[in-house]
Amino acid sequence: MSPVLSVTGYTLSYRTRSGLRRALSDITLDIAPGETLGLVGASGSGKSSLAWSILRMLPGNAQEGRGQIALAGQDLRMLTRRQLAALRGRRIGMVFQDPSTALNPSMRLGDQVAEVLIRHQRLNNRDAAIQAEAWLARTGLPHPRAIMDRYPHQVSGGEKQRVVIATAFACRPELIIFDEPTTALDVITGARILDLFAELRAETPVASLYISHDLALVGRIADRVAVLEAGRIVEQGPARDVLRAPRTATTRRLLDAIPDPAHRLSGPPPPAAPLLALNDVTVTYGRASAFGQLLGAPAPVQGARHLTLALNQGEILGIVGESGSGKSTLARALTGIAPFTGQVVFANRRMTGTDRMDRAWHRDIQIIFQNPDASLNPRHRIRTILGRPLRLYAPASPAEIEAGIIAMLEEVGLPAAYASRHPHELSGGEKQRVAIARAFAAAPKLVICDEITSALDVVVQADIARLLIALQARHGTACLFITHDLNLVRQLAHRVAVMYRGDVVDVFDATDFATADRHLYTQALLSAVSRL
Amino acid sequence: MRDLFRQPTFIVGFVLLSLVAIAVIFGPWLAPYDPQAFHPRARLQPPSAAFLLGTDQFGRDLLSRLLIGARATVLFGVGATALGVAAGGLIGLVAGVSAGAVDAVIMRILDGLVAVPDLLFALLIVTILGNGMQNALLAVAIAFTPGLARIARSTVLSLRGRDYVLAARARGEGPAWVILCEVLPNAIGPVIIEATIRVAFAVMIGATLGFLGLGAQPPSTEWGLMIASARQFMARNIWTVLVPSVAIAMVALGFNLLGDALRDHLDPRARR
Repeated sequence: MSPVLSVTGYTLSYRTRSGLRRALSDITLDIAPGETLGLVGASGSGKSSLAWSILRMLPGNAQEGRGQIALAGQDLRMLTRRQLAALRGRRIGMVFQDPSTALNPSMRLGDQVAEVLIRHQRLNNRDAAIQAEAWLARTGLPHPRAIMDRYPHQVSGGEKQRVVIATAFACRPELIIFDEPTTALDVITGARILDLFAELRAETPVASLYISHDLALVGRIADRVAVLEAGRIVEQGPARDVLRAPRTATTRRLLDAIPDPAHRLSGPPPPAAPLLALNDVTVTYGRASAFGQLLGAPAPVQGARHLTLALNQGEILGIVGESGSGKSTLARALTGIAPFTGQVVFANRRMTGTDRMDRAWHRDIQIIFQNPDASLNPRHRIRTILGRPLRLYAPASPAEIEAGIIAMLEEVGLPAAYASRHPHELSGGEKQRVAIARAFAAAPKLVICDEITSALDVVVQADIARLLIALQARHGTACLFITHDLNLVRQLAHRVAVMYRGDVVDVFDATDFATADRHLYTQALLSAVSRL
Repeated sequence: MRDLFRQPTFIVGFVLLSLVAIAVIFGPWLAPYDPQAFHPRARLQPPSAAFLLGTDQFGRDLLSRLLIGARATVLFGVGATALGVAAGGLIGLVAGVSAGAVDAVIMRILDGLVAVPDLLFALLIVTILGNGMQNALLAVAIAFTPGLARIARSTVLSLRGRDYVLAARARGEGPAWVILCEVLPNAIGPVIIEATIRVAFAVMIGATLGFLGLGAQPPSTEWGLMIASARQFMARNIWTVLVPSVAIAMVALGFNLLGDALRDHLDPRARR
């Protein structure tokens, strides 16, 4: 059978200030009708570049070399702009990573699905609406008619992704490109989207290119896997073979980076010595404006309510839950960024609000944020960033501070010369190392890690997790490890707290994850993960 | 800095402003004649060897008047903008940082002021304060304040929720460090760029006020005034109007191009 998509010897570069930078080298791959090819690689390996060159939507500074991209035998590089516009959406569909940015916020969802049908199949509005509804029903949306009249902000992330998928499938394209369609969703929703993907694939003869950084996930759903590194396909073959018997170091590295709950990174739990106790803590978000208060604005949202939790010295407590479950809210309350009611006892000090938190309190509770691009001030040098906690919490001479900065850099595995660099001169993983160093520089009793690995590349994630555990063990620091990655939390944490819609629903030892008396939501989370 | 000199917009802007700067600094020494000296035999002359840019209705040398007037005109623009940036930036910073009721009150007042066009606003203020260069400068500065305050506030608001600002607050930093070291260095870019563009507007509003007789008074060599007093002789000698007009356009264009190039340069995404 002749392939739907056939890429042969394709090479792509980008023109940058520092000269031509090669993004893809000599890419050759085929996808047969009904086949799913998984394209795996670390970030920056050229996955997205390939997707954009197949869609012929390359940025202005792209410079294509030799090679061919053929859809059912037709070379896409030869087509005119107009021919390509007629082809996209009709013969090639695309499902993006983040459904909240892929949908037009000012258009009803039904119209967004109907649009492609009107455009490509020349249906009239009524027929297009009927077909759109049928497609929405096929994606498993419970009330397709009601959904059609809503706007993107009125439905959940999972529902939005279903609408995007309905749009991609609506014109029965020959090829659909999926660019990490579950990454932006929480675990349970992501698992359901994958089920939908499997169902639709069984029903339609569409060929799919599934882009992901998660080799385990791709191994489950793809027929064949291609591993990309630095713009080259280093390994390509049946999914089972690539996963079971990887032939290259790149593939092995990607496989090793997948967190394995059986392989624990942290030591045994420390003896019980209370450090932190939360008693009936509630955080309320959003305050009505001065005018809103006059007009009687709606009641503000509670980000976390009536939380009761305890943490021992030197213990790692994992906090898991979907986005919006109140995990980060809790972190903000403890560090004094979000006002709270209730009572927090930390190192024998009682707090009933944020106003009495002094510098000693702040020194003892440090926080590391999810995205180091955002948490390091782009205008400061690493020296300023790391020197700040040293200068702030204790009187120190410039020489002592400089020595402290060098020591911290060394401890997180960065060269001393990095002190005079700006954050944008570092890679993502290096930046997160700086953020970790800044937290530990204060010699805190508790470090709160708010999704510190989720903005990073898979391979880097594992390194950062190991670094954190090493530092935590060396300094005997307690740690609140907030994450949505259940496998990772099972590797790291001594105990786990599960949060759901602002409540702590379950607290248990990490080893008791799979026991029968777990809360229903915990069981749902766990089954979603094992299915991935 | 080397990157900047590779951009055509920056180079053109830089050259234009260098010419203007030479006129501002060395004008009085470069001027071949006394700007107020009448040459009754050579009135309304086109450019010639004796008068490089021609003469006006009293036979005064246009080149000399242009060079002497540069200082008043350009310094007016820069001064008015600097004053407006200082006042607007401060108000915006206070509103953005304090939030809540203070912010709401300040911004509603500014919203009302923004609704009035800059020139009309400046005219109103000059009418109240009286004629003269200093009052005109003050008027333009006040007219600029609301717009710049809005920009400063929106920049501060977008920065206030950034993780590095939250990180500083979680670290227990005092408000002075948070505002001066975390927020201000990141907020200054957009404000500076807006300011370079506004300098051009300030020169033009200053010239307009001069033209309307509300700014500089004769026999000043301010460029707007030069155009105003020569306009009835425009048909007889176009140079009397053309010379100061082109000079104003050069300043405006120079600052605009420089502002554009700076904006591109300060955006880290564009730089990489």
